[in-house]
Amino acid sequence: MGTSEERVVAVIMVGGPTKGTRFRPLSLNIPKPLFPLAGQPMVHHPISACKTIPNLAQIYLVGFYEEREFALYVSSISNELRVPVRYLREDKPHGSAGGLYNFRDLIMEDNPSHIVLLNCDVCCSFPLPGMLEAHRRYGGMGTILVIKVSPESANQFGELVADPVTNELLHYTEKPETFVSDRINCGAYIFTPDIFTAIQGVSSQRKDRATLRRLSSFEALQPPNRSPPSDFVRLDQDILSPLAGKKQLYVYETMDFWEQIKTPGMSLKCSALYLAQFRFTSPHLLASSDGRKNATICGDVYIHPSAKVHPTAKIGPNVSISANARIGAGVRLISCIILDDVEIKENAVVIHAIVGWKSSIGRWSRVQAAGDYNAKLGVTILGESVTVEDEVVVINSIILPNKTLNVSVQEEIIL
Amino acid sequence: MKALILVGGFGTRLRPLTLSVPKPLVEFANKPMILHQIEALKAIGVTEVVLAINYQPEVMLNFLKEFETKLGIKITCSQETEPLGTAGPLALARDNLVDDSGEPFFVLNSDVISEYPLQEMIDFHKSHGGEASILVTKVDEPSKYGVVVMEESTGQVERFVEKPKVFVGNKINAGIYLLNPSVLDQIELRPTSIEKEVFPNIAAEKKLYAMVLPGFWMDIGQPRDYITGLRLYLDSLKKKSSPKLAFGPHIIGNVLVDESAKIGEGCLIGPDVAIGSGCIVESGVRLSRCTIMRGVRVKKHACISSSIIGWHSTVGQWARVENMTILGEDVHVCDEIYSNGGVVLPHKEIKSSILNPEIVM
Repeated sequence: MGTSEERVVAVIMVGGPTKGTRFRPLSLNIPKPLFPLAGQPMVHHPISACKTIPNLAQIYLVGFYEEREFALYVSSISNELRVPVRYLREDKPHGSAGGLYNFRDLIMEDNPSHIVLLNCDVCCSFPLPGMLEAHRRYGGMGTILVIKVSPESANQFGELVADPVTNELLHYTEKPETFVSDRINCGAYIFTPDIFTAIQGVSSQRKDRATLRRLSSFEALQPPNRSPPSDFVRLDQDILSPLAGKKQLYVYETMDFWEQIKTPGMSLKCSALYLAQFRFTSPHLLASSDGRKNATICGDVYIHPSAKVHPTAKIGPNVSISANARIGAGVRLISCIILDDVEIKENAVVIHAIVGWKSSIGRWSRVQAAGDYNAKLGVTILGESVTVEDEVVVINSIILPNKTLNVSVQEEIIL
Repeated sequence: MKALILVGGFGTRLRPLTLSVPKPLVEFANKPMILHQIEALKAIGVTEVVLAINYQPEVMLNFLKEFETKLGIKITCSQETEPLGTAGPLALARDNLVDDSGEPFFVLNSDVISEYPLQEMIDFHKSHGGEASILVTKVDEPSKYGVVVMEESTGQVERFVEKPKVFVGNKINAGIYLLNPSVLDQIELRPTSIEKEVFPNIAAEKKLYAMVLPGFWMDIGQPRDYITGLRLYLDSLKKKSSPKLAFGPHIIGNVLVDESAKIGEGCLIGPDVAIGSGCIVESGVRLSRCTIMRGVRVKKHACISSSIIGWHSTVGQWARVENMTILGEDVHVCDEIYSNGGVVLPHKEIKSSILNPEIVM
């Protein structure tokens, strides 16, 4: 059986609605995975990366959202990329590994030799072909994508120690208090189907312990069982940590960019990273100022074909403009995401902001922020259908949907 | 007789509550806001109520079906496709409001809570024979509103002054009108303001009359006024010796408790508290000047004042929640936490204290 027979199935974990409130207010109007970065829904980026894998049989999106929220997207992306993409809804939390196990029958239907597991809210170059090749060389059960970060920030993530020669995973610990390693888990993995056996092992072990608790009267006197139900299996604590050092898991290091997309501020930063990546992978998607008919473009800019931009506007760097937006004369846009159906009137200025669907920015108004992607009010966010009247200034603020600002605001959240 | 209730839009001032439920369905004194008005209209013989809405019609329509049968009154929705202001919706609903009887029809603003002296208003309208009657109410700070300047003895309206800079009068538009069908001839189907365009014209023809509202009035469209409004409303229940008010050794002042709510031992509830259906108030809890929405659990020894606790939320043991804290739906305040004016969006867990008024998203 040659490599041409080896099919690959990809699974992308997309999360759910009430879990992450950190993406508000944008998540009040749209599931986070569908929020656009560099003009494409967030989940589109890992999906496109999966498409670079030879013999990709199927992509599954796994999450807690209602099926109807993904129905349209899934059918259109399946057609566009010519690969079956399907959304699967988890009925209850199973943990990051349990979720994969829960759908093992569907995943194994295509008899894949390898399973790619990705997290949707990770901004990354997803070097999957190279990673798959390395995984085959290592011959283990799983390969984890890792990246080097600054030692100070490492403890926000899972830290890994690997053998520098064999790349075997020697040690894994999640968010340690003391420094362990500056290599962290990127949230992208390649597994062989043995992963399901490993997950089942953890499940059974838990069941046995639970049974023991019931049978042993001493155990029954212990405080209420605080460990999770037996089918709740976490990838990090329950699989990666215990299997480190047992010649089953390996690491593959990426030298490219990597960020977690947890907040709206970060989505602006990640949009910039993907726009920069387009320059190499899909330069035809980026706008360019050619001649006097088009607006002046600086740096990386995405403009949806249906958007209208006045020739006297100056756009960029790091700007994404979505469908049917209208950018008026003399407008200046820097580092922002302009969503669908937005109207920006003459001479307005938008810097370090996200302007929500159907919003209207008045003439000579100014919507800006300091641009600190991690600060609570570091990027100004206007929700859906917000109107900023002429000459009004909005700085370092978050405005919830359907509001009209007729006076200037600074450092405020307006519900 | 017919009536129109201007329900309007998104209720953004009552967020985070209105992130879960459209504003007219947010409960006030344990009853959806709009039901207070529909019941008052039904009581004086209104047979059809039109709700002028432009947001979430599906949720409203489901609610209506339930109450149409329960109340025995016809309720229809008139949906604006573009915002029509305060007068435009009347033109939109014209066919529902006028029939061959030529009777006047009521127009109410959905945010207003008062004693609804609607029969007195009908009598007043008949006696002056003008085209339109409006209710006005006396306020301490008229400059915040639109002041109605009127002739004291007859009530004939001379003019409207929006947010006057000098004192011109202390009666403001209470948002309750009784209009002859001929008024509709003066309203075009476009965004129109009833206070700025329609009424001044009728006043100029000396056909607009104002009646002073006896009793309380409140625009409960924002949390601070909602809490004050509850005090006024419960006060008026007390004056009527309403059996709905709770009594007992653990009750102080005016308190409303839904019959399905459970209250534990050693609590002190009141004054000015409303506890909704299915709530569980555990022992040793102190509640004052607050609204506890349906399905909330307040755990032992907690203390809540001047706040609104949203549906299905929980307040932990020994937690202290005060000073205009507004919890949205399904918010869980952990044990021993202090919230001073926290405004919390739905589906959150509060694990650390909020020391100063702050919005938690």
